[in-house]
Amino acid sequence: MTHTLYERPTTVSQAVSLLSKAPDRTVVLAGGTDLMLKIRSGTLHPDLLVDVKSIPELTRIQWLPDGELAIGAAVTMCQIYRNPEIKERYPALSEGAEAVGSLQIRHRATVGGNICNASPCMDTAPGLLLLGAKVIVAGPGGQKTLSISDFFVGVKKTRLAAGELVCEIRIPATSRAFSTAFDKIKRVRGHDLALVNAAVALDRIAGTIRVAVGSCGATTIITDPVTDVDPAGSNEEIVTERVIRTLLTKICPIDDVRSSAEYRRDMAELLCRRLVKRLISEGSCCGRIH
Amino acid sequence: MMKHLVTLTLNGQKTTLEVEPHRTLLSVLKGDLHLDGAKEGCGIGECGACTVLLNGEPVNGCLVFAVECDGATVDTIEGEADDDTLSALQQAFIDHGAVQCGFCTPGMINSARALLATNESPTREDIVEAVSGNYCRCTGYQPIIDAIEAVARARDHGGYKTTPVPAAPYVGGPTKRIDGYDKVTGSASFVHDMVVPNMLHARMKLASVASARIVKLDVAKAESMPGVRAVLTGATLTQKLGLYMQDKDILVRDRVRHQGEAVAAVAADTVDQAKAACDAIEVVYEPLPAVLDVQEATAPNAPLVHPDIAGYSWMKGVFFPEPGTNIAHHQKIRKGDIEKGFAQADRVFEHQFTNPPVQHVPMETHTAIVRAKPGGAVDIITSAQSPFTVQYLFCHTFQLPLNKVRVQVPYVGGGFGGKAGVHLEPLVYCLSKATGGRPVKLVATREEEFNTLPSRQGLTSRIKTGVTKDGKITALEITYLWDAGAYADYGVNVGRAAAYSGAGPYVVPNCKLDSKVVYTNKIYGTAYRGFGHLEVLWGIERNMDLVARAIGIDPMEFRRKNLLRPGKQTITGELFTEHHGRPEECLRLVAQAIGWDPKSRVDRPVKVASGKVRAKGLAMLHKAPAMPVFTSCSAVIKFSGDGSATVLVSGIDYGQGTYTTLAQIAADELKLPIDKIHVPWDSDTDYTPYDWQTVASRFAVMGGNAVIQAARDCLDQIRKTASQVLHAPVEQLVCESGTVYVKGKLGQTLAYKDLVLGYSFPNGNSIGGPVIGHGRYIAQGLTHLDPATGQGLPALNWTYGAHGVEIEVDTDTGEIHVVKLASAFDPGKVLNIQQCRTQVIGGVVQGLGSAVLEKFVFDKGRLVNNSFSDYKIPTAKDIPDSMEQFFVETPHPQGPYGARGIAEHPMISVPSAIGNALANATGVDLFELPLDAEKVYLALKRRKGV
Repeated sequence: MTHTLYERPTTVSQAVSLLSKAPDRTVVLAGGTDLMLKIRSGTLHPDLLVDVKSIPELTRIQWLPDGELAIGAAVTMCQIYRNPEIKERYPALSEGAEAVGSLQIRHRATVGGNICNASPCMDTAPGLLLLGAKVIVAGPGGQKTLSISDFFVGVKKTRLAAGELVCEIRIPATSRAFSTAFDKIKRVRGHDLALVNAAVALDRIAGTIRVAVGSCGATTIITDPVTDVDPAGSNEEIVTERVIRTLLTKICPIDDVRSSAEYRRDMAELLCRRLVKRLISEGSCCGRIH
Repeated sequence: MMKHLVTLTLNGQKTTLEVEPHRTLLSVLKGDLHLDGAKEGCGIGECGACTVLLNGEPVNGCLVFAVECDGATVDTIEGEADDDTLSALQQAFIDHGAVQCGFCTPGMINSARALLATNESPTREDIVEAVSGNYCRCTGYQPIIDAIEAVARARDHGGYKTTPVPAAPYVGGPTKRIDGYDKVTGSASFVHDMVVPNMLHARMKLASVASARIVKLDVAKAESMPGVRAVLTGATLTQKLGLYMQDKDILVRDRVRHQGEAVAAVAADTVDQAKAACDAIEVVYEPLPAVLDVQEATAPNAPLVHPDIAGYSWMKGVFFPEPGTNIAHHQKIRKGDIEKGFAQADRVFEHQFTNPPVQHVPMETHTAIVRAKPGGAVDIITSAQSPFTVQYLFCHTFQLPLNKVRVQVPYVGGGFGGKAGVHLEPLVYCLSKATGGRPVKLVATREEEFNTLPSRQGLTSRIKTGVTKDGKITALEITYLWDAGAYADYGVNVGRAAAYSGAGPYVVPNCKLDSKVVYTNKIYGTAYRGFGHLEVLWGIERNMDLVARAIGIDPMEFRRKNLLRPGKQTITGELFTEHHGRPEECLRLVAQAIGWDPKSRVDRPVKVASGKVRAKGLAMLHKAPAMPVFTSCSAVIKFSGDGSATVLVSGIDYGQGTYTTLAQIAADELKLPIDKIHVPWDSDTDYTPYDWQTVASRFAVMGGNAVIQAARDCLDQIRKTASQVLHAPVEQLVCESGTVYVKGKLGQTLAYKDLVLGYSFPNGNSIGGPVIGHGRYIAQGLTHLDPATGQGLPALNWTYGAHGVEIEVDTDTGEIHVVKLASAFDPGKVLNIQQCRTQVIGGVVQGLGSAVLEKFVFDKGRLVNNSFSDYKIPTAKDIPDSMEQFFVETPHPQGPYGARGIAEHPMISVPSAIGNALANATGVDLFELPLDAEKVYLALKRRKGV
């Protein structure tokens, strides 16, 4: 790394052309909070750092005319959770971004970086998965759109090819009847990686609930919708049990330094119970219960 | 190499730099600009010590490339004060006792600056959130939060006003830290920050396995790499190292005894080059059987970690290793007749408790700069607790004369026992020699701090208790098995000290205690704040509650029935007198503070919300300084021509505040305003007088006595000269406010400034000469413990205390949150009330880490949580909702103004009080630390039989 070069392109095409020259030796630098650790520990030795923070499209939050939300890949966690509209419309995303690291980290860490790092415990994934986010990717062959659920392949692995750049995360418009929430179990009240994290989405019109859980598999796991949910809560208990059952068949937590598989499984269940209860009892998509 | 021009606004000044793209903002700030207020505490963005403001936002300087800052504004702590005038935040940090070692302080203040710049009226929660990304190991965060809150609240009231400076007499009052200014401005220089001319940088190659023989160690490639000046292996380093037991090699010499120990080291022009060369060293290991816990290690025919103990040297008559086994020391205590004691008991209980190894986590990792000078002299600058012990052990190892080796210790970023004794200095010296005498600097990475530097030993305690039905203890039979890890150079003394304290502050007529320090193939242990007492009192104080509950007596009452009181003897036969302190009063105070009802027999849990339950718990503690019987220290006071005085000592103030206390003592004794007293921060074996070690909560006591004596020596000299000037006998002279006069004759006073360099009469005749006082103190009347019975007088003094806690348990997650924690101690005399309080708060929060969070996790002897990613310590969000401190003052006849030590004690028994409260809250008894959420949750689940 002592011969590293640095470039700061101002357009996506400049960035892509820089990335394509020697894709194996070139890395995208956004917030750097994961990248620096890899360089320090010797797992990455890039020759070229491509700093994408000066590309306007990558650093803005935009509500598109069709109601979609476009979040530039280099938008920071702080920018996401301090955005009042995101907080109101997409609490799971907002709360997930707020749960990342310390304040110092959240001022730097970006949503694009978070998904490209693809850690199983990443805090933005549960929300993004439930919201059906799309990932806009630019590469030598032009632009393409991947669904977020296709984007993650395994532990620290994504479908992103060498030379490609994540430009934007796009959240489809959702109705006001669609509400989400996020929560996380960690070892301290201060900053920590998630032993388990989870987001739940309730669609009051369709009468469905879906759950996404992190740190319980190689990638964040999203369940099939549980149907026939009465958003007023008349069948809350039965619904909760069905959600849990669906979840438990899909997750496969492991024992590691942070937690036992058993604790993870039980906490995944607890988070789902708490979040389902919160969404149903809230009767609206905003507010937050601890 | 390609350099980039980076133009930024740095602390308001447009600055252009040339930087290589791979350099971090932190490394450029420190290395190129010498803005050393920013500190590297971990290198991975977890600790926040490098927090600076980038475009006004707090960021970790270690995670930002300097090239990214082109066009940005960067603000560091150096830009916070207005010339010499501190900002409100800086002043408030000093006023509120929010500064201890000072290593985290600049980053902490930067986080607070960012908050106050963007939030007009932050709530306390906002403040906690703003600083929770900054670790502090000393203060317990509460004083920091208070300081920031005071500045925020003062905004609507004309701005922050500093608190008044306390007046004389200073002893007992809240004199502000004399090192506060240096630390809040970032100008305090730590070894981490230091660069000396012609300096090289070192890195270590660490063993990847726990127990192995090295069959191949190939350094040829490393030696030929760019910038490499020396590569060392253990092959030529035959010397043994250690404090009480010389059992360590400088580098592994064929046999690896724990994963993470250094097998080779490199000195190179840059840290990166040294690291690259280490990576290029090829090591082939032949695995040997490993013993990974004390049970295995003490089993018959266990593999031996040190097959050759008999060939080692150790402090004879004090420590008793057992060659042919893994036992590095066996301390026996025998009092009364144990069989008779159990025969007298109505009930007998047996319990086993365990503590995992944990780390000290000083914010500044171990670091040393050493130069092997031509002619055989050695200069050492080190982040250490004890310059003279570094010097002594170093010289002992290399057979060098003491006066050829100079050890300097500047500001130290926390130690907590981990920087006592000798650590990196010998290796760095060998590297310096190998480079022909160039100075070499070695900074332990945070990973090395966990993996290569020592930890706190693990402990397994077995306690058998005999008790009458009315609650009198008749017998205690105890076995302590200490998991010393691979080396026990210091750990043997933990096993000894914790043995003579090992029954708690109670009357035990019949006691049989065996404390064995056991080698295993793990990271080795050393002194850690409390020196074995947090560990043994985890078992002892949990045991007191378990036994009390089983026999149906209130745990507070059970303790009171058995507490040491005047006329009774400790387990080593020491007579407890009315000067020892009042443990019962400490217990009463904390019980009252948390609303403990002694009639309740056991505190009943209170359901506060769905899934949340609250209950209370109590625990007691005691500790005496653990040190050799001959421990001594000294002080020198010298005067300057303006009548001000400089106090020289070689104990280290690595955050605990002793230098401020010594300044208070010197000011009162010399009858000078405190701003006329200077205590220089750099201790230096060439210039400051002898002190053994800064450990064992002994410095304020022994150093205080030495300073009193030195001050009185000065006054004698001043009076002697003055008596010739004033034509009055010395006995009639009074010293006051820096002047001398004859009792009853206020009209004729002489200022110190006219006397302290010698007095000149109007005719030119001169008398006297420079006033230099010296004082000393040596522990008196201590005896070695009898090898067979442990009887004797091991302790200079005892400090007693108690904690009362109220906790809230989330039974759904297992999380324990401390709602309230009250602590009481009998330090004899409070020398500085603010420092006593902040010392207690910091110690309590550190104890909370041991109680609910901290542990080493091993996988086949490999430490798997060797970084802040997975070794968590309490943050500002994790502290108790409220903390209260009480001080009982029963003077100790030999203490300065009656004082005893209090530095380590706050940490002790925090886990046991919480463990007792947990049992009261949930009915679940846990015997193994830490009481982390997962463990509590799973215990609750098992009980439910799910």
